[in-house]
Amino acid sequence: MRVNSLAFRLFAASALWTLVVLPITGWVLNSIYRQEIERVFDLRLDTAWWALVNLSVSPGATTPREPTATAFGDPSYNVPFSGWYWQINPVDPAPADKVLISTSLQGEQLSLPKTGVTTPLGSAYAVVDSIGPQKERVRMFSKILTYGDGAAAKQYRYIVTGNLTETDVTLLRFRSTLWLALSLLGAGLVLATFFQVRYGLRPLQQVEQGLGDIRSGKAMRLEGELPTEIVPLQRELNALIKSNQDIIERARTHVGNLAHALKTPISVLTNEARSDKTPFGMKVSEQVGIMRDQVQHHLDRARMVARSGSLGGATDVKPALDALVRVLSKIHGEKGLKLSATCDDQLTFQGEKQDLEEMLGNLLDNACKWAKARVEVTATRLPPAKRGQPAMLQIQVNDDGPGLTEAERAVARQRGKRLDETKPGSGLGLSIVTELVGLYSGKFDLDRSELGGLSARLKLPAA
Amino acid sequence: MRLLVVEDDPDLKRQLVTALGEAGYAVDSATDGEEGHFLGDTEPYDAVVLDLGLPKRDGLSVLEEWRRAGHKFPVLILTARDRWNEKVSGMDAGADDYLTKPFNMEELLARLRALVRRSAGHASSEIECGQLRLDTKSARVTYDGSPIKLTSHEYRLMAYLMHHKDKVVSRTELVEHMYDQDFDRDSNTIEVFIGRLRKKIPVDMIRTIRGLGYCLSKGEDAG
Repeated sequence: MRVNSLAFRLFAASALWTLVVLPITGWVLNSIYRQEIERVFDLRLDTAWWALVNLSVSPGATTPREPTATAFGDPSYNVPFSGWYWQINPVDPAPADKVLISTSLQGEQLSLPKTGVTTPLGSAYAVVDSIGPQKERVRMFSKILTYGDGAAAKQYRYIVTGNLTETDVTLLRFRSTLWLALSLLGAGLVLATFFQVRYGLRPLQQVEQGLGDIRSGKAMRLEGELPTEIVPLQRELNALIKSNQDIIERARTHVGNLAHALKTPISVLTNEARSDKTPFGMKVSEQVGIMRDQVQHHLDRARMVARSGSLGGATDVKPALDALVRVLSKIHGEKGLKLSATCDDQLTFQGEKQDLEEMLGNLLDNACKWAKARVEVTATRLPPAKRGQPAMLQIQVNDDGPGLTEAERAVARQRGKRLDETKPGSGLGLSIVTELVGLYSGKFDLDRSELGGLSARLKLPAA
Repeated sequence: MRLLVVEDDPDLKRQLVTALGEAGYAVDSATDGEEGHFLGDTEPYDAVVLDLGLPKRDGLSVLEEWRRAGHKFPVLILTARDRWNEKVSGMDAGADDYLTKPFNMEELLARLRALVRRSAGHASSEIECGQLRLDTKSARVTYDGSPIKLTSHEYRLMAYLMHHKDKVVSRTELVEHMYDQDFDRDSNTIEVFIGRLRKKIPVDMIRTIRGLGYCLSKGEDAG
């Protein structure tokens, strides 16, 4: 996923939202839970405190009565160093004064810290979080009660503690569970977003692939059922492509018309200059020759480009081959050539009829120009070299002419090269074949023929 | 030998007419399809050079109609359209050869010579009749190896007779194939030219066949 992409934007926005919302949710849940835990904790301490008061105060007594261990409701106060303690001690201790402590204190005494003591609104006692004898965290409820009247009055501090560490552990456990759950939820959401984005944007990939097909010539327009949001885009794209094709088509027609229109004046100039042997005439001759090649070159290019738009269609090889053989027999009939063609039945070429005719026509024409007496054409279907590879067909044109050397064969396929200026023709034949074969990803070889002359071999995709 | 050139470009038409005239042909020309069709339909040409992109009427349809009407003269298509499928449709419409612009005049002449010869049934570019030889390539006539000087009209007459050697050729036929349509035809001039030819080759090679015409053959003595 690239940074500058729709998918990344959607994904990042969603992930960011998740990452902000989940911690806040976690924090809120944690707070609520802690408050609840503390409320229950405080309630328990409150109960214990009142129990302690009820058990120790008897009407008319001047000193607190020691509560019996069993009478105290909460068994935690009997467990040694449980963090749940109570203590009743005189505020101004006289030597004879006894400090009453819970069993759980095991003889230790609690002391009230000097700072941090608060008296919550509406409660009877002061509250402070402190440290117990075992360094455990405890919460103390403390209040001073006065026994006796007047000079005999004596103040006693009542302290009840609860074990905060237990609460801390519970909270910690809750918090880790909460964070784990939330992390899983977050990861799940992020993952879900990722797939949502991919799924939601898949039609765009379809569009991309469709456009690629158009560019590579596999399709003429953007096809397929697309989501409603993209349909207008599809429609506009197709209209754009259509208008583009129209423009190209017009431009191509113009190129063709221009080229064809130029050919007649070029003919006139060629003929006029040919009879003029002055340097001027020679110069015109030479330049007109260049013009002729240029016109032909650009005409071919325009056609070639036209082809690359649509390589579809299947062409029967036999009718095309037969027509060409018929024509060439007529044109080269004077030489008494024997022009024979054998073609597999049902052999079809994956491509345009015009292109096949152009390739075959040029090869056959060349063969006929050079052959002494015989030209043979064989068109066969080739079994695919490997499974899954496209089927190919092979067309071989053999003649019994003088043939070409290896070096000549390389030169022959280049544009505008003519090995022998005495034979008529513009010399463009083989280079057109090379280009067309390239367009169809085929192969074009020149070799020595069994008949003695040149053997031209085409390998083209079969349909 | 009389040819028809159907070409709409005035300069090219002029060049073709000139070059073909210099090569020894009598040449008629037309600038559009209708005129071309009419001429081909009514005059006995030995060959036709036909452009395809013509005003008024398309060259292919002209050709097809000539063939339907049974005209057998060879037709060479001269066009800027150089695709093979265009060649195929041209040839299938009844053309005998196909030349694409821009072209070499020499090549056009060579192809026309071949067409004319083939339609008269001769395979080689040289036609022999006893000691008499016609080289269609160089437009030269020799007898027993030594060249015979001929004016252009004499050459046309000789060439036509040689192409149709051993056949009786009527005087009208000779007139029709020797002169273009603008020429003031007088069949008596044929007799004059025959007389001149007879002075340059053995007299008995051209025989007069009463009421029918002339026949060029080896002759009794020669060969």
